[in-house]
Amino acid sequence: MTTAPEDDGALVARALRGNPDAFATLVERYDRAVYHLAYRTLQDSEEARDATQEAFFKAFRSLRTFKIGSKFSTWIFAITYHACCDRLNRRKRYAGSELPERADPSPGPEDQAIALDDARRLRAAVDALPEKYRTVITLFHLQGKQYEEIAEVLGLPLGTVKTHLFRAKEQLRKLLGEMEVS
Amino acid sequence: MYSDAYDPLDEAIAGLPLEEPPAGLRASILLATAYRPAPLFSLGEYVAMGAIAAIALWLIALVVMGGATLFVHTIETIAGTSARTLSNGATLAWLAAGGATALWISLFTGFQPAAVLPKRSQPPPRR
Repeated sequence: MTTAPEDDGALVARALRGNPDAFATLVERYDRAVYHLAYRTLQDSEEARDATQEAFFKAFRSLRTFKIGSKFSTWIFAITYHACCDRLNRRKRYAGSELPERADPSPGPEDQAIALDDARRLRAAVDALPEKYRTVITLFHLQGKQYEEIAEVLGLPLGTVKTHLFRAKEQLRKLLGEMEVS
Repeated sequence: MYSDAYDPLDEAIAGLPLEEPPAGLRASILLATAYRPAPLFSLGEYVAMGAIAAIALWLIALVVMGGATLFVHTIETIAGTSARTLSNGATLAWLAAGGATALWISLFTGFQPAAVLPKRSQPPPRR
């Protein structure tokens, strides 16, 4: 007989009572998604790694501020997103100019996408989106059609999130169409 | 403008595999959080040890400088002053108010007294 996995709220409550295994389970459950969000937002594996560590460290330190009843995923994604924004702002300050659309000096996503399979082509197209659209698409990927939660993570009104998502998908279709032609 | 109708692009996005995190990321997160090695002493213990060491040094200096008489006189003065202070109702009330305020502030700052912190001395599980 298998037992149902413990829900996130119960794990947080156990972690607050001093059980380290409970927080470890939360890390195991979300580290991949958190890294994915950080990597897609920052487009740099080293920075994404640091942002992921920072997000979990902050979550652990402020676990008492987590509202029992709310979603842990939304909370940890919001912490991650803010950590990424700080890094992007720092990058912008040091660069002294507009944020680069991509951090890697490797060939553009359109070039890479030629002859790639559909999933890799879609990923390359997502990478080619402007940062605000890329993040909203990444959260849509991670959280599905839970628009309120995406809005909560990004700290944006629900309508803005829906508009961003609509425009992001429009641009994705356009990019995918261009890749198809080339 | 926005529709919740079925969109094959939604399905394609949902089907994208998640990025593979670098090796060792999970272990480093766990070592920095849940399984962080317990520090040898807590901050309070360091403060207490420092205070005890300072008092001990002071008493030793008294013995060296003035011999046993000055030492006994100083100890008696400290004991007498402490007894008088702690038997004063107003002083006790101020101490209680200070303690209660510190506890109240700690609820808002997220500071966790050592007693409620998760235990971090256990090693990460081997997988």
